[in-house]
Amino acid sequence: MDTSTVKIILQILHFLFFGYAFLAIVSYIILSIISGKETLEYLKKNSFVHYKDILSSAMSPSITIIAPAYNESLNVVENVRSLLSNHYVNYNVIIVNDGSKDDSLERLIEAYDLEKIDYIVNDKIKTKPLRAGVFKSKNPAFEKLMVVDKENGGKADALNMGLNISKSKYVACIDVDCLLLEDALQKMIKPFLDETDTRVIAAGGVIRIANSCIIRGGKLIDVNLPKNLLVQSQILEYLRAFLLGRMAWSRLNGLLVISGAFGIFDKEIAIAVGGYDTNTVGEDMEIIVRMRRYMEEKNEKYRVSYIPDPLCWTEAPDSYKIFISQRNRWTRGTIETLKKHRKIGFNPKYGSFGMLSYPYWLIFERMAPIIEVIGLIYFAILVILQEVKWEYALSFLVLSYMFSVLFSIIAIYSEELTFHQYKKKGTGFKLVLLSALEPFLLHPFVLYAAIRGNFDYFFNKKKKWGNMVRKGLATT
Amino acid sequence: MINYQPLISHFKESPLLIQIAWVASCVLITAIILLSIYLKIMRYHLRKKEKENTQFKNEYEASLIEYLYSGDALGEMNATQESIIQKIKVSVPIKAKRKIIISVLYNLMNEVSGEMSDSIKLLYYKTGLIRYALERLESKRWHIIAKGIGELTRFKIDEVHHKVSKFVNHPRSEVRKETQLYLVSLFRFEGLSFLNNLTTPLSEWAQIQLLETLQKFDDQQICDIRPWLKSTNDSVVLFALKLAQIYNQFEVQDTLMELLSHPKKQIRITAIQVLTHLYGVEAKELLKANFNDLSLEEQICFFGMLEKLVMPTDEPFVEKYLFHKNFEIQLLALKILKSINIDKYMGLSQTATNEKDSSMIKLVNSL
Repeated sequence: MDTSTVKIILQILHFLFFGYAFLAIVSYIILSIISGKETLEYLKKNSFVHYKDILSSAMSPSITIIAPAYNESLNVVENVRSLLSNHYVNYNVIIVNDGSKDDSLERLIEAYDLEKIDYIVNDKIKTKPLRAGVFKSKNPAFEKLMVVDKENGGKADALNMGLNISKSKYVACIDVDCLLLEDALQKMIKPFLDETDTRVIAAGGVIRIANSCIIRGGKLIDVNLPKNLLVQSQILEYLRAFLLGRMAWSRLNGLLVISGAFGIFDKEIAIAVGGYDTNTVGEDMEIIVRMRRYMEEKNEKYRVSYIPDPLCWTEAPDSYKIFISQRNRWTRGTIETLKKHRKIGFNPKYGSFGMLSYPYWLIFERMAPIIEVIGLIYFAILVILQEVKWEYALSFLVLSYMFSVLFSIIAIYSEELTFHQYKKKGTGFKLVLLSALEPFLLHPFVLYAAIRGNFDYFFNKKKKWGNMVRKGLATT
Repeated sequence: MINYQPLISHFKESPLLIQIAWVASCVLITAIILLSIYLKIMRYHLRKKEKENTQFKNEYEASLIEYLYSGDALGEMNATQESIIQKIKVSVPIKAKRKIIISVLYNLMNEVSGEMSDSIKLLYYKTGLIRYALERLESKRWHIIAKGIGELTRFKIDEVHHKVSKFVNHPRSEVRKETQLYLVSLFRFEGLSFLNNLTTPLSEWAQIQLLETLQKFDDQQICDIRPWLKSTNDSVVLFALKLAQIYNQFEVQDTLMELLSHPKKQIRITAIQVLTHLYGVEAKELLKANFNDLSLEEQICFFGMLEKLVMPTDEPFVEKYLFHKNFEIQLLALKILKSINIDKYMGLSQTATNEKDSSMIKLVNSL
């Protein structure tokens, strides 16, 4: 190969990197504009809604909250209390103790006065069998609660058991340690009941970070910005992702994921597609993709809806080790789902799902860390070969950094103008400062975790969930 | 003094792409600085506004309570009440304050009834708040109209119903919903007459709201729902079915029977459920005769009916489904047999051919 050919190849590579970055930035801008519009529309629509009517109505549809628990002995009693304090009238809670090795079940039995009942499980979805069985409380105050003790089969298997047992039309699948606000269910059920010509198959909500927040009796009392920089950075990341990203995908009816921390599903469709996939670590994304695929193939009008209200608060990892493990799992989940449903990608038969959502996730979510690492390696080679055009490198590095900071600030604005959760004096300044620091505090670790996720997916097939140690939310 | 000349010359000599990148970076830096400053100001104002609003709310809450409790038995306005009205009138033109007054008034409205409720309505008129609500009806923006209608509903302003009812077929469902709520909240069952000509679908959310509103009234004398059960609008039929169930409309059983052959499956299923609730024995016999022509969901629903309305004569029919492949049907059939012929049920364990059936029989026995 002569030098001119090498130069041409290098030029093409430069343009590819440039084109990718340019498209990514343009897509972020477009998505944030659509998100803004959708959020405004949502706020307008809900500025005169009478939620109380739905709260007290016996005609409101039944919802089952399914919360899988595995070795949650430390906080399970408190967490269940929080789930039982919802204001919606027509709901029940199923705690699926997924073969915990600790004393979770004993604690629940003691705290809620549970007794074993005879129960016939309709195995619509195959799951691991019951272990100790099904429990209900003798105390009428906890009549909404049911505890199911089964053999360990993982989160997806536990959720499937909940789907089998639920008698409700809708199921809310949540992480047992999440704090659900009292009005979460009626706000989340609204999209299902509002549509007349389209079937809403699932709805998700914004997940907020509860570290350092004050929680009393299962209720959120005070919202604080944590001191830990890693957690602070995740708050900013969540604001960007939920307020500037998912709202737009909801508008485009292109949502491919509803956070496993909290989502409501049309049970009939969830069961029709076979429930959660037990062979993936990204079961929350996979079930949405499968449900969408099912509806597309049935040629039925459907929607996956999304609510911007801060309804569910969860504990974010506060150590880099746990954070990397979590993101590694998310990456593997994305790869597994996109691979399993590759038939959809670029397939006009699936409409915007196949031609827009899937390709976007593949190119800008799945491929992004790989392209970034290739770019970094390529840059390192150029440095070694002293071929870097520093003027270009510096100007574009500054530009991309400035864009990233500005984008975070816009996310903060979006939060301030809508839900204004971080009210305390000085928090605004901290968040702006964080926008400048976050590309150094969080992004390198996100990238590392994604690359590790790719590596583990291809070369470490045995790796499953990984550790997700939780300390429990601050309660007073 | 710093000499920027070399920097400017260098910039001018740079390739166009680099120039664009630096200019864009400068624009972004400026935007970041300006937005950061504005964020600080905005947060300060939000906090200040919140504080002021709380203060204003407390102040007006006290005044409004005083207004309500200083009225005499004859309903005549006294000096205290007049002065409170004057005080509120001054604040009403300011949008933020008007919003707080309305919210305080509404909360009070929920807590009082009778004369006091009329007194609030009078205040609503006298302070000129009604004028702003009516102005909202003229707006071109749908959510403003919806808010206006909502406000008129909350303060029970039935005198303007001719201005509100024209929105019953508004293109936005939110406006239609508010109009429907207005009509039902203020005119009770008579307000439901909009269903006669409703061409747009009535969402499940709207139906629940309307039913909840209707149930708040003391007078539960419902009008004839037959025309709605025969409506060509499926959502109206479903709503009427809910009315039939809630208000125990035994007199419409014949019309409900007709709905068992409605082209829409959801309507057929709901009709079975309502007939179950109304002890529709005739429907049971009809469905039993046509059982094999029903969809699976209808069959399950029918077994639900049978569980409630079973007679010893149904035993041969039930026996056919004791080992049905569908879980719900099998469970219900076993439960029904147990309830009508326990001896035969106890003998079932010998006839069960597989483990699943045996365990099901055992479990139903323990229920």
